[in-house]
Order: sequence, then C-alpha cells, then structure tokens
Amino acid sequence: MKENWTTLDTDLLVVGGGVAGTMAAIPALEAGLKVVICEKGKVLDHCGSVGCGVDHYLTVMDSGPEWDSPEFLIKHLPELTDGIVDLAVAGRVIREMPRIFRRLESFGVDFKDRQTGTYYRLRSFGLPGTYHINFDGTDFKKHLGERVRKGKATVLTRTMVVQLLTRDNRAYGAFAFNFRTGEWYAIRAKAVVLAAGDVNRISMNASGLAFDSWHFPYNTGDAQAMGYRAGAALANMESVEATLTPKGFSTQGLNALVSLGAHFVNKSGERFMFRYDPKGENARRAVLADAAINEYLLGNGPIFLDCRHLPQEMLDRMAHTLQVDRYTLPAFYRQKGVNFREELVEISVSELSIRRSGVYFRGSGLAVDTNGETSVEALFAAGDCATVSGGIAGAAVLGHIAGEGVVQRVRNAPSTLPAIDPQAAEAVRSQAAGHLERAGGVSWRAFEDETRRTVTDYVGVRRTGNGLKLALRTLHVLSAREPQMKADDLHGLMRVHESKNIRLNAEIMATASLARQETRTGSAHWRLDYPATDEENWRKFVLVERGADGPAVRTLSTEHPLSHAFARSAARA
Amino acid sequence: MREAAKPVHNPIRIDEQKCVRCDLCDWVCPGDLIVHEEGNKEKLPVVAYPDECWYCGLCQSICPTNAITIVFPEQMIHNRTDVVSLLGKVVK
Repeated sequence: MKENWTTLDTDLLVVGGGVAGTMAAIPALEAGLKVVICEKGKVLDHCGSVGCGVDHYLTVMDSGPEWDSPEFLIKHLPELTDGIVDLAVAGRVIREMPRIFRRLESFGVDFKDRQTGTYYRLRSFGLPGTYHINFDGTDFKKHLGERVRKGKATVLTRTMVVQLLTRDNRAYGAFAFNFRTGEWYAIRAKAVVLAAGDVNRISMNASGLAFDSWHFPYNTGDAQAMGYRAGAALANMESVEATLTPKGFSTQGLNALVSLGAHFVNKSGERFMFRYDPKGENARRAVLADAAINEYLLGNGPIFLDCRHLPQEMLDRMAHTLQVDRYTLPAFYRQKGVNFREELVEISVSELSIRRSGVYFRGSGLAVDTNGETSVEALFAAGDCATVSGGIAGAAVLGHIAGEGVVQRVRNAPSTLPAIDPQAAEAVRSQAAGHLERAGGVSWRAFEDETRRTVTDYVGVRRTGNGLKLALRTLHVLSAREPQMKADDLHGLMRVHESKNIRLNAEIMATASLARQETRTGSAHWRLDYPATDEENWRKFVLVERGADGPAVRTLSTEHPLSHAFARSAARA
Repeated sequence: MREAAKPVHNPIRIDEQKCVRCDLCDWVCPGDLIVHEEGNKEKLPVVAYPDECWYCGLCQSICPTNAITIVFPEQMIHNRTDVVSLLGKVVK
C-alpha cells in the first residue's frame, strides 16, 4: 500500500467517542481488550449529541415504589411508542438501567441536587413516573472520558471513519483518516461498535443556517450510512423528530422548560397543548412538536413560550439548567433583548433529525439485538444511531450492553482476521484525491442544500406517495453527482463524506416513508394520503437494507424482535 | 447548484489583546472550525470555517482569558421566517 497508511490491529474499534462509544469501551477495557476509538472531535470530555454537559438523566432506580421498577416502565412501552418497539431490546435496556446508573455513580458522576443532597426527579415527556433526574451534569462526560483514558484506549481524534470492512457478513475493521494531518488508517478489529449518533443537517429551519441545529450538526448519520453500505439492516427510519425551539436559534432545553412548568400559548394566548394531549406540556416530545405544527398550519401561530406564571425559584433553576444544556442560550436572549422571566418568547418548530422521533425507546437507526449487535456479525451499534434510543441514559445503557456483547463476541472470534485488501484501501484514497484535486465541481454546501430542500418539502412533516417519489428521484440524481463534489482541504473532505452520508440517510428515510402506508405518531410520520393509523396492517417495523438497486424494504411484525429478520444466526439472548 | 455569494458572518470574535495564543479553543471546538498552530505564541487562532458554527460556545466557556465572544447573526436574533414554509409542500 502507498505511504501515509497506518495499520492498526485491535480487539475493538469504536466509532464515535460520545456517551455510547465511551460506555462501550469501558467494559471492553475492563476485560483487558485492546480498544481504538475514532472521534471527529478532539476531546472525549463532552457529550456527542449536545456538545457540553447534561441536565437530565432518565432512569428507573428500583427504589421501592412500583412505578420505579423496570417492569412497570416496560409494561408501558407499547403505549409510549405507539406500538412500534423492539420489546426484547428495550426491555433489556430498561432492566439494566439501575445497574448502569450505579456504575455511573461509581465513576464519580454526582446525580444528586447540590442543595438538598437528594435526587431531584421530575416527570416529563409523557413517561409514567418521575424518571428524569434533573442535575448539574456539566462534568458528566468528563468522568467517562477519564475512565477511557485510564483504561489506556488508543484515541484517534479529528479522525473520521469512512468505510467499514466486512467479509461474509462479519465486520473486521474500517478505513479512517485524520482530517488535520491527512494520515490514513487501516484498522483491523475483532469487533466494531458504531456510536456516531443521530442524523442532522437533513432539513431546513427558521434561521436557514445549516449548522444551527437543535442536536449536534456534526452528527451526520455516518454510522447509519456506513452500516447500510456494509449490509446492516436499519429500522424506524421513516420517523422524523422535531422539537420546539426559540425562534431563530435551534437549541436544546425543551425538557427543562416543560418539566419545570413552562406553558406554550398560541397567538390568541390559548394554552393549546391540552387540546392535543391530556398531559398538556408534559406530553411526549412527538406530541408537543405535532401540536405546534398543527397550530401553525391552522393559522394559530406564532406560538410562544410562557414562563411568567412561574415562581422565582423555578425561574432561577430554569435559568441555570438552560445553560448546562446550551451554554450560549442566555447570551442569545441577552442579544435578542428578551427576558424570558417576564416576556413571551416566540417559538419555532426546529429542523428535523432522524433519531427517535420524539419517542423514548423507539430509535431510528441500525437494528440491534439484545446485545447491541446489528445484523452484521461483530458489528454493534448503540446510542442515537441504534433502534433503541433514549437520550443520554439510552446511550449509556445500550453502550455498556454493547461493550459487554463485544467481550463475548471477541472471546469467540476467529484467531486471525482477514488481511486488508490493498485495492480497496487505494480505492478509498483515490476517491478522496478526486474530491481534493478537483478544480471545479459541486460544493458540499450546495449539495447538502439540495438534500435539505428536498427533505423539507417532500420527506418532512407532511408526506404523500407522489411527493416521496419525487424526492427519491431528486435524491437519486444527487447521488450521481457525488463524485463531482469538491473539497478545498482535508476538513472539506470530511464534510464531503458527511454530505454523502446525509443524502443516503435522506434516501433511506424517504424509502421507508413511502413503504409505511399509514400515519403514526402524528407528524413523526404523517402521510396525507393515508391519514389514519392502521393498527390492523401496520403494527410492523419497516426495515431498510441495501438491495441490488438501492434501498430495499421488508416489514416485520412488532410481535417479533428485529433480530428475527437478521440473516446471521439468531440472537444469543 | 451554485453557492450564493453572501458575506459569511463570523460568530466567534477573538479579542487580540486578551488572547494568550493557547490552543484550547482549537482543541475544544467540536466542529474543527478554529485552527491554531500548536504552541505558536505569535499567531492568533483563526476561525477557518465560520459558517459551520453550532453556537455551542464551548470555545468561549473554555477560554482562560475571556477573549472570546459569541455573536449571533441578524437572522437568528430577529428571525422573520414563516414557520409554515418549513412544514412541507403538499403533492397530490
């Protein structure tokens, strides 16, 4: 192979150093495995999907009352997910929650309220108990980063994984490159964990700025796209997620707002959420976004956030937790000249992302079994790129489960891994050189704008069969232009790869949306041509896999776990 | 698919007087936007890709001398987009 290739052999390769990735690395390191982590950022001390700290953590604690037991929450899963849930995997995640919560505390995470010394637990997002611990998690991820460093993992930062290596439906490594130095890596691994997060930059929002997104704009569905290309099955990709944000700034913080008692009102001053759900502002995120979308379409916009009724103590807590989730939100209010304690704040519907469609435990992404393993052997997925997703807690728990699954998998792995194919390696390099050396061509920004415009107009919150077909044609034409994308530098080459991944995720989403001929979870999958929820025919998962001519669809009854559709040997329970 | 020739807003303002040319903002930026040659005490960090900013403010929060200010552009502060335009086109 050409110079400037670094070859590494390891037991576990982790793609993404967020909560899921580090939590997967920890049990592997504890079992004495060699671990390599590739991370597009530079540090492991911040959360992958929010970039800074954490202000809430969802868990059952098994503290005594029935509602706090795993079985109670599991019993409510079908209603929380509108019937589309992998009960086997979600059930395991929930049962493991108390154990992983205690592990996190043992790592030094302090979930207790500093003033009272107790857990400050709140009810939010329609969950049947006060499962969200509201806490100052500024240092949450630092503890995980430290743990990984102490375990002596090899951490390759500013490094993007661009292609998985598989043979006979088994993963054995990946190609990656450092977008600061241009160094290329051929990494052989006995197992790979994909933990690269959700899909953002996929539709338009109020500010029109692609990187002004509610969730991390540098999470671009890399895991989903690479997994798909390697033959892994994806599920629930038809469901999109939006949230409510201060207009002009797509930022997190909705959970803190609603759990602390903020109201949403329409232009007439009506507190409209109760028209959509008896829980009002405490409804699931999907319901909140759907209600706001409906109000805007009914001409009842603008929508406002109203905190004026809250006691000073609540407003203080709110002001504090807002900047834990997004440090710059107070500065935004200041520059805007708005005081949320005394004034209404105009609210917009955010851009869309593919994550869990505002529904806990129903992730959109790589289908996994109860060990976090995908339909490709030795390829695992956890966090927001997997089919059971539940915020920070979901990432922590499924990440840890996947790490333990890796330990088992590696013990049974063949002693020798396939050799790196030099031709495949050079193909990746020459493709990269093609983008870098191109004089003219298409900018990744313009390419991505086309994807976003197409998704916003035809694959977003209002879908029809004809609109989706139109979108698929446009996305297909775009894919033919991928080789023409120009990268100005190595950083741009990283963005070019992201743009390709975003487009592919959009195509998978449109394909799954066209297949599901019903409406489910309101605007998470709203088919204007099939406006009713069809329990008789569509209590099913839509699975998308790579077919001969692009994405191919299968369906599977939700009575079965997704792993029943896997070609490899049935999941080891 | 041509790019609009709009001037790019710089969201990360670095105060030359206060900046001590350490590498922290480069290190912490999750989007690889800020470039500073490691250990170079002469040169200021460069905001190389200002339009890719997430407005997370990690650079501002980590800066040891408070040399960084995040400035939001007009289209974020005073946004006039019709939200309905983001809610899709209906194709019969």
